[in-house]
Amino acid sequence: MKNYKIYYLLIILFTTGCEKFLEEEPADEIALDQYFTQPEHARDAVNTLYRTGAMQLYTGEVYSGARIMFGPYITGFVDNEYKGQEVHVGYAQNLSYNQTNLSSYFNSMWSDMYLGISRANTAIKYIPEVEGLTEQESEQYLAEAHFFRALNYFYLVRFFGGVPLITTPYESLGELELERGSTGAVYDLIIEDLNFAINSNGLSVSSVPGNNGRISQGVAQTVLADAYLTRSGEAGDGDYYAGAANSARDIINSGVYNLTQHSFDSNGELTENGSAYNKNRKQRIVENEYIYYYEYAIGIGNNPYTQWTFPTALSPKMAYAIVNNAFAPTSDFINSYDPVRDLRIQEKQYFHSSVTMPDGEHLEFEVSPYYWLDEEAVFETALSERATPIYTYSNVLLIAAEAIAQSEGVTSEAVDYLMEVRERAYWNEDPAAIREALSELSADAFVEEVLKERIRELAFEFQIWFDINRTRKFPDPSSVQPGQIDFINVVGATNNFGGTITETDLLLPIPEMEMQRNSLLTQNPGY
Amino acid sequence: MKKELLSEPTFDFQKWLGFFDLLQMKFIKFSFVSLMIFGFQWGNAVPIISPPQEVVSGTVTDINNMPLPGVTVRELGTNNGTQTDFDGNFTLQVKSTNAVLQFSFVGMDTVERDVEENMVLNVVMEQGSQSLDEVVVVGYGTQRKSDLTGSIGVVDSKELTRGPVTNPLQGLQGKVAGVRVALNSGSPSSSPRVLIRGIGTINSSSDPLYVVDGVVMENIRFLNPNDIESMQVLKDASSTAIYGARGANGVVLISTRRGAKTMGTTIGYEGFVSVGVLPKKLDILNSAEFMEVLETGFNNHPLYSDQPIPEFTTDDPNLFDAEGNPIYDTDWQEEATRTAISHNHQLSLQSKAENSSFGAFLNYSDMEGIMLNNYLKRLSGKIAYDANPKDWLSVGLNLLVTNVQENEFEEGGGHQMPRRSMIEMPPIFPVKFPNGTWSNSGMVDDPYGLEAIPNPVHVLETQDRLVERSKIFGNLFTEFHILPGLDLRTQIGFDRNIFNQKFYSPTDLINISSPNGSATLANNKSLYWQQENYLTFNKSYEDHNFNAVAGLSWQKRTSEYFNVSASGFSDDTFRFNRIQAASEPGSPNSGFDEWSMNSYFFRGSYNYLRKYLVTFTGRMDGSSRFGANNKYGFFPSVGVGYVLSEEPFWEGIENTFNFLKFRTSYGITGNTEIPTYQSLGTISTGTTLINGSRASISYVNRLPNPDLEWEKTKQFDIGLDMEMFNRGLIFNLDYYYKLTEDLLLDRPVPAHTGFSAVRDNIGSVSNKGIEVLLQAFPITTDDFKWDSSLNFSYNENKIESLGVNGEDIFPGPNWVSGSQTILRVGESLSSFWGYDRLGTWSTDEAEEAALVGAIPGEAKRSKERKIIGNGIPVWSGSFINNFYFRNFDFTVDLQFVADVDILQQMTHSAQDRSGYGNGLDDILYDAWTPNNQNTMIQQIRNGPYSGQNSEVDSHWVADGSFIRGNLFDLGYNVDPFLLEDMGIQSLRVYANVQNAFVIDSDDFRGYDPEASSWEGNQWGQNIFFYQYPRPRTFSLGFSMQF
Repeated sequence: MKNYKIYYLLIILFTTGCEKFLEEEPADEIALDQYFTQPEHARDAVNTLYRTGAMQLYTGEVYSGARIMFGPYITGFVDNEYKGQEVHVGYAQNLSYNQTNLSSYFNSMWSDMYLGISRANTAIKYIPEVEGLTEQESEQYLAEAHFFRALNYFYLVRFFGGVPLITTPYESLGELELERGSTGAVYDLIIEDLNFAINSNGLSVSSVPGNNGRISQGVAQTVLADAYLTRSGEAGDGDYYAGAANSARDIINSGVYNLTQHSFDSNGELTENGSAYNKNRKQRIVENEYIYYYEYAIGIGNNPYTQWTFPTALSPKMAYAIVNNAFAPTSDFINSYDPVRDLRIQEKQYFHSSVTMPDGEHLEFEVSPYYWLDEEAVFETALSERATPIYTYSNVLLIAAEAIAQSEGVTSEAVDYLMEVRERAYWNEDPAAIREALSELSADAFVEEVLKERIRELAFEFQIWFDINRTRKFPDPSSVQPGQIDFINVVGATNNFGGTITETDLLLPIPEMEMQRNSLLTQNPGY
Repeated sequence: MKKELLSEPTFDFQKWLGFFDLLQMKFIKFSFVSLMIFGFQWGNAVPIISPPQEVVSGTVTDINNMPLPGVTVRELGTNNGTQTDFDGNFTLQVKSTNAVLQFSFVGMDTVERDVEENMVLNVVMEQGSQSLDEVVVVGYGTQRKSDLTGSIGVVDSKELTRGPVTNPLQGLQGKVAGVRVALNSGSPSSSPRVLIRGIGTINSSSDPLYVVDGVVMENIRFLNPNDIESMQVLKDASSTAIYGARGANGVVLISTRRGAKTMGTTIGYEGFVSVGVLPKKLDILNSAEFMEVLETGFNNHPLYSDQPIPEFTTDDPNLFDAEGNPIYDTDWQEEATRTAISHNHQLSLQSKAENSSFGAFLNYSDMEGIMLNNYLKRLSGKIAYDANPKDWLSVGLNLLVTNVQENEFEEGGGHQMPRRSMIEMPPIFPVKFPNGTWSNSGMVDDPYGLEAIPNPVHVLETQDRLVERSKIFGNLFTEFHILPGLDLRTQIGFDRNIFNQKFYSPTDLINISSPNGSATLANNKSLYWQQENYLTFNKSYEDHNFNAVAGLSWQKRTSEYFNVSASGFSDDTFRFNRIQAASEPGSPNSGFDEWSMNSYFFRGSYNYLRKYLVTFTGRMDGSSRFGANNKYGFFPSVGVGYVLSEEPFWEGIENTFNFLKFRTSYGITGNTEIPTYQSLGTISTGTTLINGSRASISYVNRLPNPDLEWEKTKQFDIGLDMEMFNRGLIFNLDYYYKLTEDLLLDRPVPAHTGFSAVRDNIGSVSNKGIEVLLQAFPITTDDFKWDSSLNFSYNENKIESLGVNGEDIFPGPNWVSGSQTILRVGESLSSFWGYDRLGTWSTDEAEEAALVGAIPGEAKRSKERKIIGNGIPVWSGSFINNFYFRNFDFTVDLQFVADVDILQQMTHSAQDRSGYGNGLDDILYDAWTPNNQNTMIQQIRNGPYSGQNSEVDSHWVADGSFIRGNLFDLGYNVDPFLLEDMGIQSLRVYANVQNAFVIDSDDFRGYDPEASSWEGNQWGQNIFFYQYPRPRTFSLGFSMQF
């Protein structure tokens, strides 16, 4: 019993803890208020925007396709062999999607775009506070952040209409719910952000590959041109065609971009793989034509599009375990091209239906996209790094042609821009004759010609639903005379799968999950 | 040799020979180990020859004064012993008058008596199993069972390891009412899921807290079950509140074996060898049937599409004979599985000296899974030392080292893993072609468009999924005996886990790792330590009995990991051993994590006359995982009991009702088991692709919540313990109501914030239930005894509230058509979410079908999704019977669950979509045809050409109720007389069969209704996309003590 002192000592020893014992100091994360202290922090906060949000519409996996294909699925111009399992395809084609049956599908689109917006807001808020940034760096990063915020809102407004407008980051719990802004207010922000990016000294005038893969002037101007054009349409709130024309013109006049041309032999015949489309297909990034693109690099991000170049029944023959014709052109799509005059619909230009395997075996199959085919990946490595175009120079030329026709009339400039695209496609024809025919058209008829060309030329830019939506004109290609396209009113139009489009379908429903989370939201009409 | 045999599926005879070879090898190994032990014994334990001096005699009877024959009488500390004769009489020459005699008999409590001067000893033995003076381990101490106010289930080592168990949780299955252990896979490397009194959380872990000899242990399933002395499951708040913020899911206290209890040294060996077989095969298509389905699919194509397809042919000379009939008819279930041979050896050395005791234990266990190449080998050693060097001081040490080597089996995911391909790989392919190449589903020239499936034998034989786990676990305590009844104990404990993974998947496994191969190397380390000091007070003042404990605790856990993976191997030579040979290294990952807790705890129990009982418990817990504003929380509980049978008026009926206690408790416990740093909004970092290379990125990863705190579970329990007819019938009953509030919920927030959810304390879940334990001893004669134990529990689970607007939450697991479960206010947790399948569209309904894009023969489903099942059983229990006849004992252990559903995701690819691979044979025999329209099974079509129609619907759901013949065990205790000369104290040999049969529902399509292929997913219980079949296991073993 003489050992009490030991007990006291022990008790004191064991009960005296360090005051900081329960404090959390993460070692592999850092608190927000300790961040944005070095120039690299500004850069990294902007880097994260390059592949979040709207950009995620352009990637995907073998069964589901890419999310950006949802619009084309609605039009019935494309099909997906795995639609029995990938239910969004069937709901789109049957026009039976609503806020509950595709709640999580739409919610992923919605959430991802707001994720991009939220991260852009963080960058915009904190970059001005970062010490040690040069003025040039600061302007560049801010310009990029504003660009990405605008890009995300631009997709949101086209899919869902007016959406909640958020320009500062949420950093604590508190008032989280917010009402929808008007479509016009969303466009105002988009245009303001893009003009901020264009007018700052932050963006280079070169192409994206020439600018180390970062956003350049041309990208911001292209999105601005598209935003003006779309805002001028049926879903917009005014006439901004002049703005669209000017922005597109700026890009064209910058001299940074041009269309790849065909290679002919001495007899005037196309050389093997000498068409512009074949040449473009072979490149990782078509620097002269791709104004903006979703890039891939083997080992970092592999291209999924190559797996969508053959029907699934051919899977056993391929290096990829599974291939799936997830963007299978339906007869409507194929009939929008003139089978004789249009080079793009010739075998192994945009599409293919036969292949000679490396071992010499010849196979025939349903029409599938050829433009995404990477032979080495499909037959050997199952790895591809070809970029997916988001905006090509053709698109800008066609925006310019349409916007000029709408704002200034069918000028020779407008005709020139359309002709640049069309004469490349009609490779065996005399351009002068086509030009003359076009020059005589009324503005409306000319715009329809532009729209037809957009359907054909921009097949792999997934513009078709956006174009239908802004013009309210649904293309109805003739099965009797392929290449001839009539336009009918989108409301009441029936697609290739028998789905009939109603006024309601023109905007996607706000997903039920988001409706439950934000009681201030109102659902789009009809849902 | 084995590989080659497997490639020749037709030579059954040789295969059997191979099996016997293998068995023989194992047996030789086994015998060798046994010999070593015998050799050791014979070499060392020379019997002490000193003439006995005194003769003791007497009679042994039971409490009804009936003589007990066959009772073992032993002089402690020696090999000297005898047995009572038919009239219960014995005579024994003892070595000294200080001898202590031990009387033991199956089913009776062991009795020890000092001989002293009494040369005649008459002994009364009592029925065992539930003695009133039984002491049970509770948090930070022990208590008399009869004084408890809480609800505690006890499992002893004998019950735990009666079958060939590979981990402690397997042994716990069905032993305690209210404890649901789901063995979701037949693989020895899988983890069982344990739920105590239902599931009361959403985003936190629902695992109970495991405390081994006072120290919290993680990865409990790698603890050697043979080292366990007893397990106590703490269920109600009165017993768990002392674990405060970590007690809400229940607590399992494990005591491991230590030194001998009586003077001297004993050496024990226990071992078994077991043989596991595939208990049943699924009815799938054979080659001829498969070809018929394929051809029908081609023929039906025009119904679905106007696109032309190739002609159906059977031309490939490697697969078809000249008549177009398949050459092979491979039974992939047979080929991918094996007769699994496992063995387990436990060697123990226990001794006791005057002031110390020592125990050393060594275990080697080699468990084969029935899927090829799947195994778990465990080597573990344990040392326990206890000493009383001074009358005021005790010290003790416990050290446990375990090394586990596994070739694990892939339990999760939905791609081409063997548990799927053993069903879907078409039978028309051989394991290997005559030229020696492995087959895969792409090796056919006819244009079938099969999904790319690598054959399961190829995967199992050539893929590595090697895992090594090392654990060092232990504690050191000193106990100061300050005053009589007052002790101060200080204890330091630690748990160190190191986990290494080496995975390699070869370049020729199509749809898994072809053409580039893939390798992953991963390393995780964690170190947990705790330091606890507490005073215990245990004293009686006349009729007032006190039992109290008060103390404090510090705990900290740090962990770190790194991993790297790569693909782009030019060949399979170096595998994971030279990852730099891969051309495409993935981005490497590393991380660090840390949490700490500081706690103060108290429990005071008081009873008057052992009649009126009361217990107060409280714990104050501080945890680093919670917000700056809520670091500390308090968890109190109170329990009261009333032992009616101690009342004076009871005397008249005390022989009928020996014991009757009512008890009730109420208290609050917590759950802190969320990832670290959840209260902080921090910046996360990583990389992304810009301009062809990786660029650093950073982003805010969470909305901060400085108010974040623990979940609180309020639990009310009322129970009664009753013993009747001389303890011939024991009855325990509990009713509980648990309400978990302030759930640590990933509360959904509007996505426009840039976040999908914030971890917040919101929402509540309730569980209420009844637990019954009924033990009876219906027959007790001299030669024959039967004891019987029935336990069952009923649990009802309900989501009371969720986020601010009560939003539905879709927690996954995500699979074909989205989240397979839904969390919705008013519904049960683990509710399956999908469409109702109403049937198939009939010819008459063609127009109606067209409206939803379907044709007759396709599935007809409800318009909206709804709740289509529940994955957590409402009823579960077991019925265990032990029979003793002379030296034989026989155990029958039956287990059951009821009122539960199973989501059979395999229906998607094994029935709903045909043509991609093989499937269930009802596709052929019961599918929709114009002549068979009243069926749930859709018309045969060729998926690759004609598409498919498959969504989660009620046709995938089966009733998950079952009854399992869990264990039939026959043992024989060799007569000690026969062993005496060999120096053996006891020897028991036994044979048993585990998982003898399962009775399940008619609509169940898998191997075993206890299933999940979503290992680790809180909501994946009873949802499976193919299963690792649970084997039927036959074992032969013995245990002996020297």
